[in-house]
Amino acid sequence: MNQWLDDRLHLSRLNDKFLRKAFPVHHSFFLGEITLFSLVILILTGILLALSYEPSNAMVVNSFDPGTADAPNLLPAAYHSTLKINAMPFGDLLRRIHHWCANIMVAASVIHMMRIYFTGAFKKPREINWWIGLLAMIFAALTAITGYILPYDNYAYNTVKVVYGITASVPWVGPWLAQAAFAGNFPGDGIIPRIYGYHIMLLPMILLATVGAHMLIMIKQKHTQPQYAKRLAYKKIVGVPLMTQQTPIMILLLLVFAGLVMLFSAFVPVHPVEYFGPPSTTPINNIKPDWYLLWVFGALAIIPSFEFHVLGGIIGSEFTGAMLFPAIPLGLLFLVPLLDRSKENMYYAENPTNHPVRLAAGVAFLAFMLILSLAGYKPDLISAGVLKSESANAVLWILVFLVPAVAYFATMAIVRGIARLREADERERAAHAELPSHSVPSQGAHSHD
Amino acid sequence: MTRYKREDPEITRRKFINTAFGASAAVGGLALVSALGGANPVFRLTRDKMPPYKGDMLIHAEGAKAGQPVSVADLSDKITRAWPQGKDKDGNPVVRKGDPNNILGLFKFPKGQIVAPTNLEATIDGEVVAYSDICTHAGCSVANDDLKAGHLNCPCHSGKYSPREGGKVTGGPPPRGLAQLPIKLEGDKIVVTDFFLGHPYPFTEAEWEARKKAVEDALA
Repeated sequence: MNQWLDDRLHLSRLNDKFLRKAFPVHHSFFLGEITLFSLVILILTGILLALSYEPSNAMVVNSFDPGTADAPNLLPAAYHSTLKINAMPFGDLLRRIHHWCANIMVAASVIHMMRIYFTGAFKKPREINWWIGLLAMIFAALTAITGYILPYDNYAYNTVKVVYGITASVPWVGPWLAQAAFAGNFPGDGIIPRIYGYHIMLLPMILLATVGAHMLIMIKQKHTQPQYAKRLAYKKIVGVPLMTQQTPIMILLLLVFAGLVMLFSAFVPVHPVEYFGPPSTTPINNIKPDWYLLWVFGALAIIPSFEFHVLGGIIGSEFTGAMLFPAIPLGLLFLVPLLDRSKENMYYAENPTNHPVRLAAGVAFLAFMLILSLAGYKPDLISAGVLKSESANAVLWILVFLVPAVAYFATMAIVRGIARLREADERERAAHAELPSHSVPSQGAHSHD
Repeated sequence: MTRYKREDPEITRRKFINTAFGASAAVGGLALVSALGGANPVFRLTRDKMPPYKGDMLIHAEGAKAGQPVSVADLSDKITRAWPQGKDKDGNPVVRKGDPNNILGLFKFPKGQIVAPTNLEATIDGEVVAYSDICTHAGCSVANDDLKAGHLNCPCHSGKYSPREGGKVTGGPPPRGLAQLPIKLEGDKIVVTDFFLGHPYPFTEAEWEARKKAVEDALA
């Protein structure tokens, strides 16, 4: 049978070329796999949820509380089907798994990006993969936004209203963009079907394409290796073969991950659509997006009020806070590979403390994003009395620039301290080795980076 | 007799084909963009989507009294949300909730507290005032400011408004204040007397003028 297949499909070539490919092993390398596993679970649970979800904002009678023939209790069909999903056996659990995997996927991809950045794995020849990874993260966030609009409760309704408003705030073409993206003037009859199409078709296809390309390029270019591989066999791949070692490891990790997610989901509920109720005129106090979009929300909260009229278009605080300003940090992320000018290909993960400016800049960037996310809690801080309404903006803007600067210089100081300790270690080791009355030549001695 | 001398062509065949393909792609792209530019769903300005219009009665938007006419006794310095209710061609009531931005906020303050830049002639006895309830920043519904009675706070990005002072912005990112709606008392009902003063969210000034004209044309 094996020979029969091999004669026709050349399986042995596949085996030699791909299935025996060596994969370096390091615990931080599993972060990308966690992201991939989250995507797989999201697709599986998404398929199951899609079988019960009704993508329509037409009004239907609430089967849980029908009202009377004269005064029926009408709900949007999307919201109604969400209530029914919650009432299904395991329906609520499916929603929870789906929700938490979305959060975990973004979290794992962010940490994965941090690993790549701090160890210099974005350098030549891996710039393209860095950019593809960034695109995948952005589209993952967009998929998440479309996902929490679909239940079409009051929370989702207010969210999509803001998103529509932001799209419409683009100068010159905003109103057209908003109507094209959201099926007419808000809230058109087609708004939920449109967003459903984004969430289950367009965006997952983009995600699968970018993730697939990400992995193919990784295989082609070889994974970066831990430093220990350099000492074992310089410029050779040190790792385990894909089929016999790496795949079982990945399967075990997938099963453990899925088990932990289900355990977590069994106990921790997600967005309570029953509490928020169907779309209404009542605003939701302190409404907030998910953690990975809090920074954009924070920028919108602290940007001052202004409007510039330019050639018939309006550039206002909404467009600036939600699009122009966020484009700066995202643009910086895309520019990261261009900072490296080395001619040599990079094979080995680098020690972050050997590149203090890069390390400090990364830490400052994270601090910047954290402070903007904190700004998203401006209403809560004002309600709690931590900030005064009049001075909240000024204080938060000062923090937005001050905390990253402090983080940068603190990191530089710490790294210099580490370097000094390392030098002291080297001097002590050398001095100790030179003492003739005590020294015993050690053939196995190694110096460490 | 002079012998005709054939000159080499100025461009190669490959270059010609590439140029032709490039030009075709450019024209095709332009055509596609032009087609897309007109491809948005048709917006029909039905009566339920029109902004508040003179003669409309204000009805409660939420709570136990939803759908009932708003009376002055219902009002306070906290926001009371209302929809404008007009009539169709046959005189039947039509609630203008087809456009969610038609939601209104009504307030009643003791005489003398409502001051400029509020248009006092557009209030009822200088005590009852109506505004668009939609934040001019990102289109959220505005709510009472829990920390400051008689003031408004947008729960989305902490925009702040003062309904005693013409709905002007007192904090946060909104570019302009809430649009005031002229109202009067007819019997015990609150009735709209004209379009919003100023342009409500999401209209620019020009768009608002165009919308008003469209409404007048449709109802003429």
